[in-house]
Amino acid sequence: MVDFDPSLINHIFEETDPVKVSAEDIEKFCEALGESNPIYNDEQAAKKGPYGELVAPPSFAVSFRNGRHFFEHIPRFGQRGFDAGKDVEFVRPVRAGDEITLTSYVKEIYEKTGRSGSMVFVVIRSTLRNQNREVVAHVDHRFMNRP
Amino acid sequence: MRTFADAKIGDTLGPLEVFISKDQCRRYARSGGMDAPRFTDDEGARKEGLPGMILPGNMSLGLLCKFVTDWLGPEGGAKLQRIGTTYRVPVQPDHTITFHGFITHATPEDRTVEIDVWIENEDAERLVTGTATVQFPK
Repeated sequence: MVDFDPSLINHIFEETDPVKVSAEDIEKFCEALGESNPIYNDEQAAKKGPYGELVAPPSFAVSFRNGRHFFEHIPRFGQRGFDAGKDVEFVRPVRAGDEITLTSYVKEIYEKTGRSGSMVFVVIRSTLRNQNREVVAHVDHRFMNRP
Repeated sequence: MRTFADAKIGDTLGPLEVFISKDQCRRYARSGGMDAPRFTDDEGARKEGLPGMILPGNMSLGLLCKFVTDWLGPEGGAKLQRIGTTYRVPVQPDHTITFHGFITHATPEDRTVEIDVWIENEDAERLVTGTATVQFPK
């Protein structure tokens, strides 16, 4: 079994300083992803789009970094895990000029046994808020390691 | 423009073939501050035990989101509400990957549609799997 301090669960380790999003950041992100949807760069098209204004693509929400220092608190997990997957709930879009803050905590730690042996999963939930303290997205990062 | 009435259980999205170059992979990694060798450099990736450069998981997630939102189209008001992904096998750049989708649920009460989405390599191996939920206007 994985040994960890149960008080880790739900404990908020981090609230990041706000990161200001520029129109250029969004443009670079779209370019890197090969995004050509006009709702991200054409004001007229954006008005007819689902958000009624220029926004960043939904997956921009996963590009905000949170510290990996969580793993220091989970001794058996090692220094880092492999990115095993993500679950993202998009609540509000990110717009140029927004200032995004992340609050992160350990949501879950569990062990699974597969064909290749035992694997430990750590799920870290980050909630993104904008400058109005409105929730933008919940991102569950699933990290995997072999004990 | 895609409407709720257009989306039926069993309908498919794609298949859509996309070639991802190493340059595009590096650009994505650098734009997100992920400049680890595994995402930017074949030699560095091999030192980490990988076959060569791989795409950041976030990039696969972003490409799957784009696959779904391109299917929705820019007009019509439908939004991507959720996506969940599992990274099963590393995705390598300099290869053609194929995007697939399959509608598994359509709920008239809240006008949402659930879509199984996945990325395959040239050998039809599923590299990334996921589920997306789309919200159509009420």
